[in-house]
Amino acid sequence: MSQPVIIKSNKYGINLILDPDVPFQELLRCIADKFLESEKFFKNARMAISFEGRQLSEAEECQILDSIAQKTSIHIACIIDNDEVREQYTKQKLDECLSAESGNVGRFYKGTLRSGQVLECETSIIIIGDVNPGAKILSTGNIVILGALKGTAYAGASGNEACFVAALDMNPVQIKIGNIIGRSEDKGILASIRERKKVAAEPQVATISDGHILIEPITKNTFNNI
Amino acid sequence: MSEVIVITSGKGGVGKTTTTANVGTGLAQLNKKVVLIDTDIGLRNLDVVMGLENRIVYNLVDVIEGNCRIKQALIKDKKYPNLALLPSAQTRDKTSVTPEQMKKLTDELREEFDYILLDCPAGIEQGFQNAIAGADRALVVTTPEVSAIRDADRIIGLLEANEIKQTQLIVNRLRMDMVKRGDMMTVEDVCEILAINLIGVVPDDEQIVISTNQGEPLVGSDALAGKAYANICRRIIGEEVPFLDLEKKANVFAKLASLFK
Repeated sequence: MSQPVIIKSNKYGINLILDPDVPFQELLRCIADKFLESEKFFKNARMAISFEGRQLSEAEECQILDSIAQKTSIHIACIIDNDEVREQYTKQKLDECLSAESGNVGRFYKGTLRSGQVLECETSIIIIGDVNPGAKILSTGNIVILGALKGTAYAGASGNEACFVAALDMNPVQIKIGNIIGRSEDKGILASIRERKKVAAEPQVATISDGHILIEPITKNTFNNI
Repeated sequence: MSEVIVITSGKGGVGKTTTTANVGTGLAQLNKKVVLIDTDIGLRNLDVVMGLENRIVYNLVDVIEGNCRIKQALIKDKKYPNLALLPSAQTRDKTSVTPEQMKKLTDELREEFDYILLDCPAGIEQGFQNAIAGADRALVVTTPEVSAIRDADRIIGLLEANEIKQTQLIVNRLRMDMVKRGDMMTVEDVCEILAINLIGVVPDDEQIVISTNQGEPLVGSDALAGKAYANICRRIIGEEVPFLDLEKKANVFAKLASLFK
């Protein structure tokens, strides 16, 4: 590494990229120099700081912060953990927690959602009624519609791709699960009415399969996969 | 017991004003005391369809602002003395009136009339909010077209949200010939999408254009659309009236047409 210390800014504040091989005392001096150079730029700013490239002990972190505080007018509001392993672990735990919560806890809504109406829910939701074209239902968990889905449904809205959308009559304008969107075929309203009249509506479920929205009739096997 | 009924649709040009004129006149023919209010401020035309434009002295905004008494602004119909029109103002806009003022006005009119019909403007903005403010009941007019149906669905949702208990559907301008060819949605298709009670089906009828241009509502005449409107009026006052067999008529036309082929 040509420079022992690099300052990068991010959306929270600044990120310090540190050389792992330079002795700590020298590193500390370099940090102070770096901040003095750019003091005018950061003047009196309140910001968060994160460290990258080197494992620091708590005492070392404190020394760095002290040196910044003494030599510059920058106020460090907090330290953001940039430990990738820990971050991933935290994210995984958080996701598990959220999806368990939203997947297992459900609410009921009775009534038909009409064009322009939006229902948002922090749990799974069971609609007793239809979701008409132009209406939208959004849940962080699963969506079950005891009626016709003719509008837009968005399950797993916090990014959980294990969620599903089930409806007695599946005829959506759009379905989104996690970050994957599926939309209806391009055909006119008369054609779709005629098509629906030909075959009796059967309960179907939409899930994600190979990165695509898959809609299939509900069978015993379907539920094993959910 | 008087009733305030709003005639609305969301989309423009589906026949709200024609329906208001015909239903109002039809109810008057059934000896009810009826007042029609044109709430489409700035785009007034119910008076034209009723053929009463030349009698306007005061209007809705004059009444609301206290420039005249209600009685002074009401225009008596040419044929039916028990039918009156409160015209809209042409030089103002929807913000000249508030929902509270409209409710107060309709409540005052309840004392004298059996039916107060409100011709709602297109859209969902203030004009719509004004029109539904005092209403007990709504007639939603749609044509069997996707755009009109989608707007009607939105309107029905808004009516529900505003706690208007009774909402009924009029399917206007149905063309049986197109339905039979499979080129137009059937009444059943429309009802299935909107899921509210149907109170009438009005066939597409060129007599409507003629009557509108003459300024004389068609209701009560022998024309099919006139009969359909008369039936709607009888259903409004609570009678059970079977739906017209529009297909039979279409067959007659079809037969006539085939003679000339």
